Amino acid sequence: HGVKRVRYSKEALEAKRQREQSKLKEYLALNDDILARKKNRDYSQEAFELSTRMLRINPEFITVWNYRRDMFLGEIFPKRYVSSSDVNDLLTEDLNLTTALLKQHPKVYSIWNHRRWCLEYVPDGPSEEDPHGWRTANWNKELFVVEKMLEGDSRNFHAWNYRRYILASMPVRRSEQSELVYTKRKIEANFSNFSAWHQRSKVLASLWEKNELDPVKSREAEFDLVKNAMYTDPGDQSVWIYHRWLIGEGNDAALLDREISSIQELLDEQPDSKWCMESIAYYKNILLQKHSAKLSEGEQREVAASCVKLFDELQLVDPERKQRYVELCKDPPIS
Amino acid sequence: MDLDVAVLGTGLTESIVAAALSKAGYKVGHLDANPYYGADDASLSVDELVQWADERTKCDAEFSPYISRQRERFTDISYSGTVPAQSRQYALSLCPTIVPSVGPLIDSLIASGVSRYGGFKLLERVALYESPGVAKPVPGNKEDIFKDKQLSLLHKRRLMRFLMFAGGEFEDKPELQGHEQTPFPTFLKEKFSLDDTAVRAIAYAIAFCASTSDPTLPALHRIRRYLRSTGRYGPSPFLFGHYGGIGEIAQGFCRTAAVAGATYVLGRQVISTQVVEAPPEGSRKYRVTIDELSEHIECDVLISSADYTSLLPSRPLAVSNMSVSSPGDYPVARCIAILDCPLAFTGLVAATEPAEDPEIQDSGTSPDPQSATVDTAVLVFPPGTVSDGSQSTAVHVLVTGEGSVSAPGGKWVIYLSMPLLDEEMKAQTPEQLLRPYLNAALTITLPHAAEDRLEPLFMLFYKQHPTTVLMPSDDESPPLLPDPSIPLYLPEMADSSVHVAEATFWRAIEQLKAADVIDSFWPPLDVVEEEDEW
Repeated sequence: HGVKRVRYSKEALEAKRQREQSKLKEYLALNDDILARKKNRDYSQEAFELSTRMLRINPEFITVWNYRRDMFLGEIFPKRYVSSSDVNDLLTEDLNLTTALLKQHPKVYSIWNHRRWCLEYVPDGPSEEDPHGWRTANWNKELFVVEKMLEGDSRNFHAWNYRRYILASMPVRRSEQSELVYTKRKIEANFSNFSAWHQRSKVLASLWEKNELDPVKSREAEFDLVKNAMYTDPGDQSVWIYHRWLIGEGNDAALLDREISSIQELLDEQPDSKWCMESIAYYKNILLQKHSAKLSEGEQREVAASCVKLFDELQLVDPERKQRYVELCKDPPIS
Repeated sequence: MDLDVAVLGTGLTESIVAAALSKAGYKVGHLDANPYYGADDASLSVDELVQWADERTKCDAEFSPYISRQRERFTDISYSGTVPAQSRQYALSLCPTIVPSVGPLIDSLIASGVSRYGGFKLLERVALYESPGVAKPVPGNKEDIFKDKQLSLLHKRRLMRFLMFAGGEFEDKPELQGHEQTPFPTFLKEKFSLDDTAVRAIAYAIAFCASTSDPTLPALHRIRRYLRSTGRYGPSPFLFGHYGGIGEIAQGFCRTAAVAGATYVLGRQVISTQVVEAPPEGSRKYRVTIDELSEHIECDVLISSADYTSLLPSRPLAVSNMSVSSPGDYPVARCIAILDCPLAFTGLVAATEPAEDPEIQDSGTSPDPQSATVDTAVLVFPPGTVSDGSQSTAVHVLVTGEGSVSAPGGKWVIYLSMPLLDEEMKAQTPEQLLRPYLNAALTITLPHAAEDRLEPLFMLFYKQHPTTVLMPSDDESPPLLPDPSIPLYLPEMADSSVHVAEATFWRAIEQLKAADVIDSFWPPLDVVEEEDEW
């Protein structure tokens, strides 16, 4: 974006091409070698090292990951002179390998899989009194790695999924409150992040259910957070989805009224915001469906009319989705 | 010595031209009367700076033409305090500036290969001075605005709306029509309903305007360039070069010129330059005579900075920055001071929330007063915020320390710059003009016992004057003078230099009769950088 491409001389490009040709030859030779060895169930140290080499070049090669795990289980671990401490060391080394690979290939499923496999095979240890020691150390490191990845790309859903897996698997659990703080940090850094909002909603739901957090106060704080995001960037869809989750079934008429007014204020300031319009129409509809008892006949008609007006405007503001608004107007959704 | 081009002066602009011409295959001789690279853009140790000051103030019987020029350019020089023992660990810049991450200088650094020679420090913060002890960081992007606890919802929306406008294609937008020359603060108030705080932040800390009357269109252009620089290397759009910034970069270009075959002569005076008829065909050349060097330089093209124009055989052709409408040339009051205490933008702590649960073991850090200190940052004084200061002009302060390898640990260098836009200001000494701002800046430090008033360890004040450029003579191939105007805006100097350097390069190519041979400013790079090594 406004960044010029660098120019290379013909000689430089030719030299690069030559280098690439020789790399290609090397790779193909390695590929043939390793697949032949796998077929012959070659579980030697040499084969193991070749698998490392191949996986560094092509970490998406699932076959070689499987081969490597076969070597661990079939040959390396069962050896009599290999203690559980050795097994832990070997697995730690493999975890380090995958960390290095993830830095360059953060979204490759097979690398994540291999990590999970390594973690699950960590033996009890280091001692009888502390059977979880190695596991705890490894899981803590996992959390650290996944956080580094989320720092690099906070919208990597692999990392978020993995994070949930780690939090659920750790022998000594982290508090959900700390997870709340973590999601807040990620949202503050860039609130265009469905994963972070989603995680937050999961954690909050759990905390409210267990009554570890006062739902009333907490919900208010969330409305405040989401309102700040709304006003900062009314075009960000993730914010509106979270708001809808906060409103929930829409059983609190006063809350609906309050939020509708607040969004209307934003719409007045930013008249072209389609999300404002759609949300107001959606919430007004809930009022009509669930709280019509509180409104007079005249008021109900007014609310219905304002919804129709909003959908008409939406067709102008967001013409690409014109038919959707036409449909919504005919058949308004109930929460 | 038979060369194609001689370049007099190793300032940033001249060094870029020398590098480009050398890499294009021409034989370049590059000279400077100083024993260091960089000339008026140089990075100096404290001892060197003191010597620089003395050379321009002491009363000697005779001055070299270079020093005479310098004494006209730099006036009202005074310094006080003690030269620190670790003088050599300081890199003090005669031209403090920050570089946008997207722009001609970064492009040239990459295209020329000079980027490999040096490192950069990303600017940490830009803060706005409000009152003694209070400096609030300026929100520069969506994240900052979202997190700010002091902005009301409505103001967040309006600020964002303006930033979206300024970051996009605003040239044809209705808000701008007819208001291109309107003073920028007025435009912001009327067209975007922004309040005074927001107007100050945008005009002086995002657009870096120099005064209340700065016009709108150039300010919007600057903002758009800076917004497009955010995120390339980090949250801030600006970089500060290691070892004092621009001086080290100029040296990098000289190094690349030397690698491409240029000859360097530093620390010698140029005695004269003449036009001669040289063998074999009696073609017209310049002959440059250098003090204590028996060999002359003979060349087809002569490029000279403003310091050597009295030695030129005829009036030079000034090559200026065509991409900017010149705001005119103004003198600048400057101060360089050394502190042993960092600045702290305490507004930062007030603006963020404490952790939701104080007992939480979170891998993140919670804000505390220590984290409000900055290593490399800009502090902006909008007009009218300092008593005894200017009501119409802004002052921009740049502070940097160990982070940019410009000072040893525990020390910081602070630069103050104030353009002198009217006669009243021009009549005062730099100390009179800047001391109130320096005092105000000194209140923006970590809270300490009120009794020990913070004083800089060392201070230097001076005034820098623009050079008057005369009309060129009617020569067919006049000497070329890269335009020496002092840019008014803190982040503009480096990119402006590149524009001028490129324009000078093409003029030189014309004079070398190579316009159909050379087709680009920098030649293609020699080596494609390897991405992965197995």
